[in-house]
Amino acid sequence: MQWWAWLVVALAAIVLLVGAVLAVQARRRRGGVIVDRSSRRANRPTGGST
Amino acid sequence: MRLMRASEIIKRPVVTMRGDDIAQVKDIVYSAHGGAVGGFTLAGRGMFAGPMKLGLTWHAVVALGADAVMISDESALEATSVVFDAAATGRGGGDVLGSQVLTDSGVDLGIVIDVIIAVSETLGGQCDVVGYEIEASVALGTKGTKLLIPLPGTITASAEHLMVPASAKDFVSHDLAGFGAAVTAFRAQLEGAG
Repeated sequence: MQWWAWLVVALAAIVLLVGAVLAVQARRRRGGVIVDRSSRRANRPTGGST
Repeated sequence: MRLMRASEIIKRPVVTMRGDDIAQVKDIVYSAHGGAVGGFTLAGRGMFAGPMKLGLTWHAVVALGADAVMISDESALEATSVVFDAAATGRGGGDVLGSQVLTDSGVDLGIVIDVIIAVSETLGGQCDVVGYEIEASVALGTKGTKLLIPLPGTITASAEHLMVPASAKDFVSHDLAGFGAAVTAFRAQLEGAG
């Protein structure tokens, strides 16, 4: 393979690696709204069932 | 009370009174028992900073401004477990974004795309979850549109679904402007029925 072909492969690998790192970081930093789903309580009267 | 979307608060910087930008809001943690916001989990600032082990309880927030969450100083941050204790979730929680909203009569109203929070204007006041913004299902007659649906004072969340009284669909709003009144009317209707 020509030297420039190796260069392209190396650059592509670096880009993929950086992209993967950024994607993982974005996933770790992604926000949310957390509520307790474990509680099993009776509903209060609902005032209708339409 | 001022209404705002949870997405407006997420990623908002946390700034001390000395002007130090020490973190950003990652998650909003709230209690299923009344919807009171217990606090926030935090992420570090900067592209490569991950989640922090410290969180921020609502009581430590001096002001929730349009551009920043103000705290007195870094000592206001506490262990993340304290934030979960403040919300009384016991870490048994899950992210409501993307969850399905069902009525107590078994009708699918849509998928949660945001959460509506009422913030007291006074220092030390309450911060409560009062509604969901949903992508409406066929049951609401406007499939795919974004609607605001009010919540009762006590929120019910099963392992997979968020439950609301069936009458909630009679109080949906299209924007925040009239949503406060819809929440008040909805809760008054529930109390009247109870």
